[in-house]
Amino acid sequence: MRFLRLLRHLFIPHESNNQKAKLLHSSSLAILAVTLIAFQLVLGFAHRAFPKVLGYAANISPAEVIRLTNVQRTANGLNPLSENSTLDAAALAKGNDMLAKGYWAHFAPDGTSPWSFFLSFGYKYKYAGENLARDFPDASSAVTAWMNSPSHRENILNPNYEDIGIGVVEGSLAGADTTIIVQFFGTPLSGSPSIPVAQAKGNTTATPKPVPVPTLIPTPVPVAAATLNQSTIGASLSFISPFTSTKNISLLVTGILILVLSIDLIVVRRNRIMRIGGRTLAHLAFFGMILAVILILKAGQII
Amino acid sequence: MRAFVKDISHYFVLFGILIASFAGLILFSYDKNFQIAVSLALALAYISWGIVHHYLHKDLHIETILEYIVIAFLGFVIIFSIIIRT
Repeated sequence: MRFLRLLRHLFIPHESNNQKAKLLHSSSLAILAVTLIAFQLVLGFAHRAFPKVLGYAANISPAEVIRLTNVQRTANGLNPLSENSTLDAAALAKGNDMLAKGYWAHFAPDGTSPWSFFLSFGYKYKYAGENLARDFPDASSAVTAWMNSPSHRENILNPNYEDIGIGVVEGSLAGADTTIIVQFFGTPLSGSPSIPVAQAKGNTTATPKPVPVPTLIPTPVPVAAATLNQSTIGASLSFISPFTSTKNISLLVTGILILVLSIDLIVVRRNRIMRIGGRTLAHLAFFGMILAVILILKAGQII
Repeated sequence: MRAFVKDISHYFVLFGILIASFAGLILFSYDKNFQIAVSLALALAYISWGIVHHYLHKDLHIETILEYIVIAFLGFVIIFSIIIRT
């Protein structure tokens, strides 16, 4: 009974709350705003203190990106792409290059092209393509975003490609923690993969060098390093995504406010309550718009 | 409902502010700084709308202004939190 009274006090206009749900009082709304700010501060602190629990690389494994890409290709009547370890290493180098030089683009500020990574790792291509994604919580969202963009979709569904390589890197880009997915597509020039993998060793900083003659040295050290890096990211799976938790909290707060405002609108009209205050209908429209923004804004960018 | 019809021109302005802000936030989703600026502009526009609307109604009180400020601030905090996490 006491609990029900408390609920009424919080959510329904009544004598106990001066004919206005306690939750809609300015003091309560201010407390709510301060709580949300505190939540963001805690989230930011927790991300720095416990990066393996709160992070941005939620479930992004290169194998999953390849699997989902091939699902899209086979669904469109195309052959699945084969994972190419040289392209994996080249894609990883491209991702690390973006973090090191602090750019988010296909071409580096110094003019380094994506294709120079193919060549510097010894992948002589007949056809080559690149898709980039950042800040997605999982592989599925990134592939979906690519499929929704005509130019990226064209890359994924290009019948000329035979090989695929994925690089997933985590780091700070322009001061923001980020996870970048680099998706390389290619078809080798000779028809068979050229794997001068050892050439890649000196080029992990992504200085493009032409590879004159593929020298086959059997120890693929850079590829091993690449695999290690990527599996490390896979291992540091985030259990809580800051974006998802912020979105859920925002949805909850906005949803409750819309509900309470709707109740307020009905009760005040029905009981013909006169009171000093803002327009409930205007507040409803305001929070309705905010709800739409929360639902539509998505994490992640593609280029 | 009668009050809404009477103030329909006021609400047209309000819906215009909300729709323009919504469009700005979605169309410029690649530019976080612009999105934050749009959110701030939305909050200020909402407060202004509330003040002008109640002033024309001759029922402008300090409590009312405070209510619009707090609602606008809360809305800004919610949108800002989402933007910085995208």
